[in-house]
Amino acid sequence: MLARLLLFLWMALALAAGFLWAPAVVGLEETTRVLYLHIPSAWIAVLALTWSAVHSALYLRTRRIGHDDHAAAGAGLGVLFCIAATVSGSVWARARWGAWWNWDPRETTIVLLLLVYGAYLALRGAIEGEERRARLAAVYAVLAFATVPFLVFVVPRLYDTLHPSPIVPQAGGAGTMHPRVWICFLAALAGFTGLFFWMESLDVRLRRRERSAAAERAARP
Amino acid sequence: MDGNLVVLGVSLLVWGLLFLYLLRLERRIRDLEKR
Repeated sequence: MLARLLLFLWMALALAAGFLWAPAVVGLEETTRVLYLHIPSAWIAVLALTWSAVHSALYLRTRRIGHDDHAAAGAGLGVLFCIAATVSGSVWARARWGAWWNWDPRETTIVLLLLVYGAYLALRGAIEGEERRARLAAVYAVLAFATVPFLVFVVPRLYDTLHPSPIVPQAGGAGTMHPRVWICFLAALAGFTGLFFWMESLDVRLRRRERSAAAERAARP
Repeated sequence: MDGNLVVLGVSLLVWGLLFLYLLRLERRIRDLEKR
């Protein structure tokens, strides 16, 4: 419980400091504040999808159903944080570019990523039988993960984009972004990471509980 | 009113509600595990 309360305070302080204590980045002005929500969400999306792919590969290797639980939880949270990154990015785009959606390469690739992992969730929901579902979903997750580096890191850099990723590293490459912005950004990143692992553990525990309840039901005469 | 404060207030509210929801969910899972 203490760890949960610490996480709550940590995130609340990181957010408050980001809005009240850290200055705005030159070129982004007050929209800098999205930095403390949007980038951590995108980071967790990549972390969660990597987590899902690693556990899918481990499932295919060991056939332990626990790995399938972790893979499913990771993919679900990956989609959730992907949506959070998309929504926060869209709000930022409205403020900076004047439109909620512009089909910028970054926006297009995140939609493709959502479609790829939306299909993963649909696949899991469509297959009967625990072992079969786990096996097919694991194969799909490993193949789907091959798209993640391309859609997140490669494709957006191949095309001209309005997305400010080149601005932030320039302004804030190690030495130039204000130290307070760095502190708040890294604190938010750490807080989101803690939140991800908490949510992931809850999801896995819920899946285990559902499985044992189903087994108990099946064992009843 | 300062727009920054409004966005901060909404962010903290959302975070607080999410935190409470997760705490409740964890308690419920713990109860189910005990059964």
